[in-house]
Amino acid sequence: MSKAFTIMGAFAACVCYAMPAAAADHTIGALFPLSGPNAVYGDVFMAGSDLAVEHINADHMLSGPMSIAYEDSQGLPQPAVVGMTKLVNVTGVPYTLSAFTGVSKAISTLAMRNSVIAVNGGGVGPDLADLGEYFWNVIPLANLEVRAAVPYLVESLGLKKIALIYVDDPLGQALKDELETEMPKAGGELVDSFSVPTSAQQFSGVAAQVRATGADAVYVASYGNQQLQIVKQLRDNGVDAQIATYSGYAVPDALALPESEGMIITGQSVDFSSEDPVTKRFVDEFKAKYDRDPTAYNVNYYNATLLYGILAAALEADGTAITGEALLAKRRATKSFDLVGGTVSFQDNGTLLFPIEVKQIKGGRAEAVTSVSFN
Amino acid sequence: MLAIQLAITGLQTGALYALTAVGFSLIFGSTRIFHFAHGATFVIAAYLFYWVYGTGWGLVPGVLAATLGAVFFGLVLDRLVYVPIQRHEGSFFTVFVASFGVGIAVQNVIGMIFGRGFTSVSTPLSRSAEIIPGVYVSPLAWIAMLCTALLLGGLHFFLRRTHTGAALRALADDPELVRTFGLNPRRIAATAFVVGSALVVPAAIITSATTGLNPTIGHHVMLISLAATIVGGIGSIPGTMLAGLLLGLAESLALLVVDSQWTEAVTFAILFAFIVIRPSGLLGRVVAH
Repeated sequence: MSKAFTIMGAFAACVCYAMPAAAADHTIGALFPLSGPNAVYGDVFMAGSDLAVEHINADHMLSGPMSIAYEDSQGLPQPAVVGMTKLVNVTGVPYTLSAFTGVSKAISTLAMRNSVIAVNGGGVGPDLADLGEYFWNVIPLANLEVRAAVPYLVESLGLKKIALIYVDDPLGQALKDELETEMPKAGGELVDSFSVPTSAQQFSGVAAQVRATGADAVYVASYGNQQLQIVKQLRDNGVDAQIATYSGYAVPDALALPESEGMIITGQSVDFSSEDPVTKRFVDEFKAKYDRDPTAYNVNYYNATLLYGILAAALEADGTAITGEALLAKRRATKSFDLVGGTVSFQDNGTLLFPIEVKQIKGGRAEAVTSVSFN
Repeated sequence: MLAIQLAITGLQTGALYALTAVGFSLIFGSTRIFHFAHGATFVIAAYLFYWVYGTGWGLVPGVLAATLGAVFFGLVLDRLVYVPIQRHEGSFFTVFVASFGVGIAVQNVIGMIFGRGFTSVSTPLSRSAEIIPGVYVSPLAWIAMLCTALLLGGLHFFLRRTHTGAALRALADDPELVRTFGLNPRRIAATAFVVGSALVVPAAIITSATTGLNPTIGHHVMLISLAATIVGGIGSIPGTMLAGLLLGLAESLALLVVDSQWTEAVTFAILFAFIVIRPSGLLGRVVAH
């Protein structure tokens, strides 16, 4: 009896020791593709968010330790809704990270209904700007990327006829709509567009169709492994036209693909050589931790996570409970935030505005050729 | 010109479909095991080739490693998973679920080892050259078609002209009768796994250079194999081969009339049409129950 009592007493002591009375644990959610053909993005996103958590905890920004509850969205709406339901109803997070246009649109209604903040740092579909006050974007959306790419392709490179290969989902459709609007404005023509299902892996036939259009350039609007397969198969099947795409291509696997050489890609402009302390700390410690240069996706999810740290710390200082409503109110009350890339402000629709860089892939790296600012 | 180009592309695709589907059909036809992990065999062969060839060992060691890996996986799966299940209760559904589970496990293990992203074998053989104005064909397309013709011709010879081939055909017809002739059905089934698994190797290697690889590619392989087996006629090797070619051609030529997003639907429309109009498949035998 006394032995059992001693064991139970020791167990109770351990539990009490592990739970300091004053500190509150902070858990936010994240819906990232951790399996399936888009899993490569999950690793990239987590690299940024995990580093931000390390920094927040190391700096004791919050009263208790912060952690992220990751759920596997597979980059698909249906598993994402299941994951979001769990995060909202079981884990009880006030703030969650989201990625991919289809996923973000699917979970936005749950975010709105439950007053949970959802922050997107990876999806670029233009309609992500209109998903309600609880849905924020820390990434410039693809309409801006197309508006930067088209004048460069048409006016600077003289590529007036563009063919489009787009994935048949909200992102692909949005990019198609944007190209149809922007091409005539720049004096070019969208000669043809070819939709592909999200699961397709064989594109030699599409390459033959693209060749038959006689286009000067091909715009690829896909993501994950599929976009790499499209680029490789275009080149393998005799398409020599300039290939252009959006920021979804800025992942290490894609940049390293030999067929990517010379491609034009767009993406948010981040000055990694900046001396501002937040950017410098991020760049130095990212390189030390992962032994590679950071990309815009790493920045976005670092920023999205750090944003929670800043807002939650401010709410704790005010003595306010950390809820989705309180986080939204605090963001609206805060004029600007010091994040990686500089001091930034949210637009009224909850989207951060960044300049867009047009880049060319050379030797496995994306080198900036021009930058376009939008106001 | 576009039609000719799409026909050639379709033949290349169809040749690879035929190889993978015939392997599945041989295993299923002989053993009645729904070897869903056939897609995993494809993935293992492709990644082994990618790894060995990519580390500079060269083509022949790469092909050998892929073949050994595929055959070993097929045999081990038969011995350690299918045989014990069949010994205890032998439910078709249990075998299918076990095979499905192994397929998912292999996909994840490959993802852990090689990463979940896109990889491909870089070779100038995948680059197309213009053979007539507007028509591009890569050396790998010719290799794919030649490999398919040789291997399936060899398989036909093996099944028709050798004792082991005859035993395989007999196993498909009546396993009990095979036993009365003093043959071991388990050993013959193992032969089916060896040959069926080895047949995916050329397709896996060529795919690693043309379409590229990711750990989930096995699902598509399995889907096409299943469709070709049904369209060709379950148990009919020539039928499955023809169905593989037909599906590849249809998928490619469909681009002349529909958007590329509907090409997969064309495959399954053909499958559905065969199920409704000719359930025994292209060259399958009608069985009365």
